Amino acid sequence: MPAICTVCSKGAILKRPKTGNALCKECFFHAFEEEIHHTIVHAELFKRNETIAIGASGGKDSTVLAYVLKLLNDRHDYGVNLVLLSVDEGITGYRDDSLETVKRNQEQYGLPLKIISYEELYGWTMDAIVKQIGLKNNCTFCGVFRRQALDRGALMLKVDKIATGHNADDIAETVIMNVLRGDIGRLRRCTAITTGTDGALPRCKPFKYTYEKEIVMYAYFKKLDYFSTECIYSPNAYRGFARAYIKDVEKIRPSAIIDIIHSGESLSVKKDIRLPVQGVCERCGYISSNAVCKACVMLEGLNKGLPRLGIGKTHKERRKMQEMLQQETGAADSTPCTDQSLKSSCKCENKTDQSECSSQTYDSDNASGCSTYSKSQKCKDGCSSTNPRTVAKEKLSIFGKLKQPPSIDF
Amino acid sequence: MCSILEDEIPLAKERISLDRKCMKCKEEPAILITRVNDAFCRGCFQVYVTHKFRAAIGKTKLVRDGEKVLVGISGGPSSCALLHLIQEGLSQRAHKKLRFKPGLLFIEEGQVVGQSLEERKVTLTRIHSLLRQSGFPYHLCKLADSLDLERVKTLSACQSNHAAVNKMNQSAMDINTAAVNKMNQSAKDINTSAGNKMNQSAMDMNTCINPVEGDKGEVEKSGHGENCCDLLEMNREAEKLFAAQLGSIKSISGKEDFVRALRHRLLLEFARQHGYSKVMLGNTGSQLAVRLLTDISTGRGMQAAMETAFADRRNTDMMFLRPLRDFSSKEIAMYNNLHRLECVFIPSLTTMGDVGASIEHLTEAFVTGLQAEYPSTVSNIMRTGEKLDSSSAVDIESHCALCQGPLDTDVGMSSALAALRFSLEISTMGKSNGKRCIKGDNSVNNTNDELCSNGVNYDAKVECCGESDGSCRSSTQLSVPDEGLVLQTLCYGCRIVAMEMDDVNSLPEFVMKDVAWRNRRSVMKAEIQDFLLDDR
Repeated sequence: MPAICTVCSKGAILKRPKTGNALCKECFFHAFEEEIHHTIVHAELFKRNETIAIGASGGKDSTVLAYVLKLLNDRHDYGVNLVLLSVDEGITGYRDDSLETVKRNQEQYGLPLKIISYEELYGWTMDAIVKQIGLKNNCTFCGVFRRQALDRGALMLKVDKIATGHNADDIAETVIMNVLRGDIGRLRRCTAITTGTDGALPRCKPFKYTYEKEIVMYAYFKKLDYFSTECIYSPNAYRGFARAYIKDVEKIRPSAIIDIIHSGESLSVKKDIRLPVQGVCERCGYISSNAVCKACVMLEGLNKGLPRLGIGKTHKERRKMQEMLQQETGAADSTPCTDQSLKSSCKCENKTDQSECSSQTYDSDNASGCSTYSKSQKCKDGCSSTNPRTVAKEKLSIFGKLKQPPSIDF
Repeated sequence: MCSILEDEIPLAKERISLDRKCMKCKEEPAILITRVNDAFCRGCFQVYVTHKFRAAIGKTKLVRDGEKVLVGISGGPSSCALLHLIQEGLSQRAHKKLRFKPGLLFIEEGQVVGQSLEERKVTLTRIHSLLRQSGFPYHLCKLADSLDLERVKTLSACQSNHAAVNKMNQSAMDINTAAVNKMNQSAKDINTSAGNKMNQSAMDMNTCINPVEGDKGEVEKSGHGENCCDLLEMNREAEKLFAAQLGSIKSISGKEDFVRALRHRLLLEFARQHGYSKVMLGNTGSQLAVRLLTDISTGRGMQAAMETAFADRRNTDMMFLRPLRDFSSKEIAMYNNLHRLECVFIPSLTTMGDVGASIEHLTEAFVTGLQAEYPSTVSNIMRTGEKLDSSSAVDIESHCALCQGPLDTDVGMSSALAALRFSLEISTMGKSNGKRCIKGDNSVNNTNDELCSNGVNYDAKVECCGESDGSCRSSTQLSVPDEGLVLQTLCYGCRIVAMEMDDVNSLPEFVMKDVAWRNRRSVMKAEIQDFLLDDR
């Protein structure tokens, strides 16, 4: 029984998951694009002459996002400059394939591309991290690192905003996940279409009200090419539960996804609940709600061989670290630090050989000194030995060096 | 939460041995395990449950001495536990006695699942005996009565008469004599007032057991069973209407929502008209966690906080309390088992259905499954619910006409509601093919004069006759309200339900009345708009 398009009354070839209407191809394209235009205009996402970095992973969301933004920019004359920004986490078999897609996108749409990798920023690839921490909680590392990586890459490109391809399904999953985990701070923020307006680069989600299925449909009918596999490390993520739930609810009632977003938008939090306050990380200067940002904490943990430093309960981990440090340094506590050039800043107590203290890679007027150790802790290992951690510290110093340019002003 | 801290070697789980001691008193052998791994003996468990119940009520200081509280009994396990706890609390330990006057209400819902008359009679009789045994004044009514709220007044409280009689006669529970005398006292008071009421009201067949002269000496005879089932015979028109409305809602989730809204409204009206000041419900923590997630999934995020809080202040004059909200279903089941409490099983729309039958059923399966793997799921969800703000709207006009929750449709153009509306418009552009228009948006700029694109019935808005002495009857001529108008008075979640019905105007009477009333008010406001100083 041939269905009729509800808009132009020609033959319909698809049924919209969002509203259930039957539409023909052109009307669907038109509806899809106009809805995104509507979202952009009413949320005032773009201003004239801004540079927008599109977070491109090579997956369906970012491919379609790049395509649609370029299309709408030309059609409605937003006057923005678009660039592609891609992050390489170092997951073999997954990321390298999708990066090829991004490179292809660059050629097809004629947009400049920048690829930034975890290796270069942090000195660790996701594969190495998973070897250390196992298959649970690795998504935390990847997520935290990627956020910083995107921001740093965007700063290098000097953009004004980042646009990511989060779609309605993603946001609905996030709402459910935050309810299940009791994370009230995130619950409040996760339905905002633009986040991070104070502090770091603002990032917006033009696809906030677009169903994932419709994105796939659009890509399919427009014959856009993308790489679609799940990350090999994702099956154990907690988000998987929320995703399964969302998929089931969508089967019962397709409008449920927008309903969940609406619920998320109407939630209000009691006034006297303590919410995390934004500050600045002591070490790298990135925004953080604690003294030291999560990425620094996790990196330190990884470099010391205590990968759960960023994950587990803080006091237990710190206790473990104390024990470990005590074991290693045994009798060599009393040797004073002979490093003269950093009298006040470096608190290395155990240095017998100046040249091996990594703090020498820093300038003497660098206030944070040994960036590997927080100010209250004693630097007890690594300075006097050539253990592999010194190597890691070198890598860390690259990370530290990145913060040098004063243009980062959070 | 889910990052279970694993050491190098995961600890082997403690083997559950049968000779554990109770963790509280450390003397008695433990008979049950609650929460994750806490073993209790019988005495300590009783103390634990009672203390939690009392603390929940006492901490909030909401229930005053001598206050009349309506307790909603559904017959299920949590209702029976609640009833038992209230009985225990009112009877023992005179110095710490709970001091309020409970009245019980059972709402018969057999029609929702399409039960036959015999089945409904059986259920009703069982519930009746259960309520009778409690010794408190009790009432029975059915869900279809919510469509005819005027009648609720006539369901008088003469049950108490009979209840007092029975209490003296039976010894099914441990009640010390002091309590019995006290109850007699209060029963006497209720008796006289009930007697007066009975003299006035005409038809009370379904609830009145003894005739007016019934003094306390008379014991009821065998005619009792039929009396309670007269409830089912009465008011057949309301039942038909209800069946029609329920039938027109297509999805089971919608039906469940509708039934819940009616139930809430019936409880509210009943409590109001019979002089109760609070309503107590027996929802457990596990049920409320499911409720929170379901509300979020159906677009009722704004009310989610209210539904899971201890005190639901949706209506300013009537508070709904949930004292069992800190208990899990497991604890309630164990409590019932210990005291051998009998519950009546009432089937619901999704009983024996598959998992995807309705959103609530799916959510229940989801939460229960997650709880098995991560034991802190339910408490996390409850904690999230506590932190949400359940501030209620100020004036009656910002309440949903169906569920009495706050209206959450006053959102700007950059919102899910606006996006959905735009999608619908753009997918059906230019074709007024009877597709539902949900232009009912309560944002400040859009008042009633935004026309529905179907152009339904808008010229039914008759002009005011011009005389401002209150005699204008033009608005009552608005016989068929505009569909957009009706939808405007509903919250987001109720709109979804209403749009599934064939005809929005077949919503229950109290909704339509509310719609008409608000319409009149907005017409009034439009007239005096220029002179209003306050922007409300």
